[in-house]
Amino acid sequence: MMLRTPPPKKARSEAGGSSTPTGDQLVIYEDSPLPAPLQTASHDHSDQHLCTYQCRQMVKSDVLDALSKAEKQAQGYQTMLQTLNQNFTQADEERKQFRDKFLYSEQELAAAKGREKVLQEQLLMEMNNSQERYTKALQSCHDLEVVKLQSEMNLRTKAESSVATAEEKAKLLEEKLSQLSGSVERERNRLNNDIAHLGKEAKLSVSRIGADLERMQCRAQSAETESDLLRSQLEDLKQKFDECLHEKTEVYKKLSSFTSEAASPSDNNVLFKTLQEELKRCEAEVREARKLKSQQLDAELLKVKLLEEKSRRERAESELSKLPELQISFDKLENELCSWKSLLNNIPGVYCPDDVVMKFSALQKEVLDSTMKIGEASTRFNQLEAALDATQLGKQNAETEAALAKEKFEALKSDVKRIEAMLALVTEEKEQLKAVVSERRKSNSDGSVSATTDGTLAQSFESSLAKKENYLKELEKELSQLKDVNNRQRDEIEHLNDKLVSEARRMKSLERDSDRLRSEISLLESKCKLGHGDFSAANTRVLRMVNTLGVENEAKQTIEALQAELQKTKERLQAVEELKSQSGDAGKLVDSHITGKIAQLKEQIATLEKREERYKTVFADRISVFRRACCELFGYKIVMDEHQRPNGIPVTRFTLQSIYAQSDDEKLEFDYESGNTSILDNQYTSQGEIAKQIEIFIRKFNSIPAFTANLTMESFNRRTLY
Amino acid sequence: MASKTAAAKDIITLHGSAAIVSEFFCYAANSILYNRAVYPEESFAKVKKYGLPMLLTQDESVKSFLSNLTCQISEWLEAGKLQRVVLVIMSKATGEVLERWNFRIETDAEVVEKGVSREKSDKEIMREIQAIMRQVASSITYLPCLDEPCVFDVLAYTDTDVAVPFTWVESDPKLIANPQMVKLHAFDTKIHKVDTLVSYKNDEWDEEE
Repeated sequence: MMLRTPPPKKARSEAGGSSTPTGDQLVIYEDSPLPAPLQTASHDHSDQHLCTYQCRQMVKSDVLDALSKAEKQAQGYQTMLQTLNQNFTQADEERKQFRDKFLYSEQELAAAKGREKVLQEQLLMEMNNSQERYTKALQSCHDLEVVKLQSEMNLRTKAESSVATAEEKAKLLEEKLSQLSGSVERERNRLNNDIAHLGKEAKLSVSRIGADLERMQCRAQSAETESDLLRSQLEDLKQKFDECLHEKTEVYKKLSSFTSEAASPSDNNVLFKTLQEELKRCEAEVREARKLKSQQLDAELLKVKLLEEKSRRERAESELSKLPELQISFDKLENELCSWKSLLNNIPGVYCPDDVVMKFSALQKEVLDSTMKIGEASTRFNQLEAALDATQLGKQNAETEAALAKEKFEALKSDVKRIEAMLALVTEEKEQLKAVVSERRKSNSDGSVSATTDGTLAQSFESSLAKKENYLKELEKELSQLKDVNNRQRDEIEHLNDKLVSEARRMKSLERDSDRLRSEISLLESKCKLGHGDFSAANTRVLRMVNTLGVENEAKQTIEALQAELQKTKERLQAVEELKSQSGDAGKLVDSHITGKIAQLKEQIATLEKREERYKTVFADRISVFRRACCELFGYKIVMDEHQRPNGIPVTRFTLQSIYAQSDDEKLEFDYESGNTSILDNQYTSQGEIAKQIEIFIRKFNSIPAFTANLTMESFNRRTLY
Repeated sequence: MASKTAAAKDIITLHGSAAIVSEFFCYAANSILYNRAVYPEESFAKVKKYGLPMLLTQDESVKSFLSNLTCQISEWLEAGKLQRVVLVIMSKATGEVLERWNFRIETDAEVVEKGVSREKSDKEIMREIQAIMRQVASSITYLPCLDEPCVFDVLAYTDTDVAVPFTWVESDPKLIANPQMVKLHAFDTKIHKVDTLVSYKNDEWDEEE
């Protein structure tokens, strides 16, 4: 508060030192409050300074003048005080205004700081978030890229290696397959040819033997008929002979009667003897002639036999000469079969020739799968590229966000600068105010306002300003650090981008290589398919004409051979018929040579019987050889019997027993009738496995050879131990 | 053959195209048999075909065989069931396959199904066939010599749903192990496209080298 009344002496004496009187001035002792110091001075100077009334009046006037002056001064001072007070109030008001302004500016500052803080926090949050996102994205991208690249490279290398191995395997297997197929074909062809040849030979031999048998049977029948005829002729001749004898005896009797009557009986005897001798001679000649004829016939027959046996010898020799070759070929076939089996064993998953085709098709499928995988890898590459493009877009977005954040930072910086400028202005105003306040304090001690509060306020303002400045500096430091971090991240991004570009180039080059390889593979496959003759059994069938030129030639040759044999047989038949006719004429003409004829016939019959026996033995030998060969070749002992059905129809029954049979009950029985073969049910065939095989091979596929072959293999496997 | 002549291109039907291809095969087979000396030279007679002097066999058996073959091939071509025809040359003694002359056929399925026709110049087709015949004749320059007596056979690759005639049987493809392959020209009637390729067994001289 401003004191209107002056303070007491002490305060005044303390406050001002100018009112203390000096030795030169008059000290007026009065009762007014003023003279407190005068009183004190008067006590000191009472003795010395005793004036007269005039002096006192003069002094009073002086004092009054001084008083008036003082009063005037006081009034002036009062007016000045008032003006000062007014000024002070104005200054107070101004100060209050300034204080209000300052407070307002402080509030604004605080609000701005708060906003700044919030913005900074938001920015920091955003920066942190964006940085985190960026780092995460980068890390994820980097990791993804690395992992995917590694995986794709691994996949590619694996696929390439698998393709290479598959191709190598396919090539090796193709080579092996081709070799196997060629060897198998050759073997098959050879076996088929051999079997056909053997079958034909067997058929021919069987047919020949049958024909020979028939011939022999016909001959035997004809010989029997001839013998019957001859027997009948013999009987007739015997009867005639008896009659002749009877007549002869009668003639002898007559002759004897005649000789008794006649004179010369000796001449008749001589004649009779001569006649008898002539008859004997004739008979002997006839016998000799017949012997010669028979010998001729025998010689011719022997010649024919010789020719036949020569031809048989030649055939046997040719077959014998062929035997070592056949054995060699059989050995080769066995070796090839063993090698083929060993090759099949080496090929995994192949146990029979049919599996080779399946394996080849499986390998083709694997190659197709590998190409599919390559295609998938390429699609993955494309997907990776798309992902990379997406990450690049994300990077670009993050960069734009970072640019936006930077712009925000710059805007905030500009705001901060503006605020700082405002603060500077405010501080200047404060300093001005301080200066004004200090001047006022100096000029007006009473009406002075407590500047301490102003000082403390200014100090607080200053301290807050200093704090704010420090905070701003810290923010600037953080900003610079963030800028450095951003720059580093930018560098890393650029580095990663360079890497991405190089990887993308690598990928493109790899894609080009893969496309080129695919085109080469497709070209090779097309070449292989076109040139190698490969085909898929599901879509394609390979056919050839049956009536090929080779078969025709073979048929022609066989036809020609058969025709030659027919001509030979016809010639032989003609010769035999001529001989028969000649022998018949000779027997009819010569009646007296009956006994020789009978002997001849007997001899012929004996020879024929011998021949029959010989033919039978030969046939039996050949049949046994054939049966043994069939048994050894096909693994079954075949027994042929003739049966009659209840309806009287004759039926041929074949009983087959495998050489690998474990018991005598394991027999198969077939009925053969007019070209149809049917299997009979028995204890062995009614067993489960055998019945199944019969159902499959005979009923379903109508193939008895397949059934017997399968049965042979099964029994062989049972017998042999691995 | 071509049914009608238009301005520059001729209309070709399925029947005509089948006849062209089967006739081509007959002449190509004769040319191969002559050039590879499967049959003696004196058993061939010269005729004019495709603008070239072509040699046809006079052996009745071979003639009848090839005629039956071409009839069946034509039938299959009209049905669109024929995929490939292969002429195989084999050793008479061993039965080993020495050469395979592949004629791969691609058929326009639309023509077979709908019976439409196509347009192509007859001259163009003849020119293409002539080029193939020239290549067949010049093949003796690089094919190995066939020193031993040989026989030939013809294989037909058909669809699986084809009814097999009684004079035909299923056969193995008679492949050559590690063959050398030479691709020849192709000809196209716009209905049937025929690619030609010869694969042959590596000569011993080449193997030694």
